[in-house]
Amino acid sequence: MNKGLIITLPQWDNVTEYLSQFSNLIIKEAEDKGIKTKTLNGKSVNKPNFEKVIKNLNYNFVVFNGHGSPSCIKGHKDEIIIEAGDNEDLLKGRIVYARACEAGAMLGKLCVKDDDNGCFIGYNLPFVFWADKTWDSVPQKDETARLFLEPSNMVPVSLIKGNNTYEAHKNSKMHILKNIKREIKKNTINTPMIIEGLLNNYYGQVLLGNEKAYL
Amino acid sequence: MKERSQSDKENETDERIKELVLARIDAQVPSNLRLFIGSSNGMNKEQIMEHVRKGDAVGKQIIQMHINFMKAVVKGEVTNLINSVQDE
Repeated sequence: MNKGLIITLPQWDNVTEYLSQFSNLIIKEAEDKGIKTKTLNGKSVNKPNFEKVIKNLNYNFVVFNGHGSPSCIKGHKDEIIIEAGDNEDLLKGRIVYARACEAGAMLGKLCVKDDDNGCFIGYNLPFVFWADKTWDSVPQKDETARLFLEPSNMVPVSLIKGNNTYEAHKNSKMHILKNIKREIKKNTINTPMIIEGLLNNYYGQVLLGNEKAYL
Repeated sequence: MKERSQSDKENETDERIKELVLARIDAQVPSNLRLFIGSSNGMNKEQIMEHVRKGDAVGKQIIQMHINFMKAVVKGEVTNLINSVQDE
């Protein structure tokens, strides 16, 4: 297996647009650290492309952005790119971060089953975020969405910086708690719903498999 | 007959929870915010409430999020978690 990052960046609806735009920070961090990075953008986030890229490059780190369910992760226009019982073997032995709803509930468990090396970090609840409609066209300026997406970025960013999977998972969850605390201090009209959403992601984020894996 | 009565009680509880969640959303969701959860593509307050009223898949996810939050508050988990974070 080769050291490198494959990251999916679908951009076909508001959710995927936000997730992908905030992923620029992950890609920049990888470039700064000299980690080879392969981005799958927009329409190219489909099953044949993904399978071809992961088999050819054989990179050890995969980040998914997109919709999901307990059994699958989706790409462009909700096309399934990884599904339990179909092609989850492609992820075995790798470090995977899935910013997608509920994939940690079943798919993630299968990915690390009978495998001592790989690790799956994801969510066993729906991944939630609030966004301010003022910033629809420029998501990266949306400070409300940032409260949710920056802590989730911390998983891959921490790994890229040299932390192991347990530390990356912990750093991300600690970032969520810090944002909750800041939000309570700010005490704005948005505070109650933001805290509730952040707490959902805190409880939902799971690490499965090898806690001591490094890139 | 006994099963029916149990089922009625459960339905009544579900309806009360739904009313509570709707009240929270109505009182606490500002007009500028949109919620992204599950397969939804961003919902304003009215759309969130509509999903909850219908009790569809997204509505159930929203209700569950509220229940989880309220349980965590009641158990004191939220306070404990926040206290575990050092002041910056």
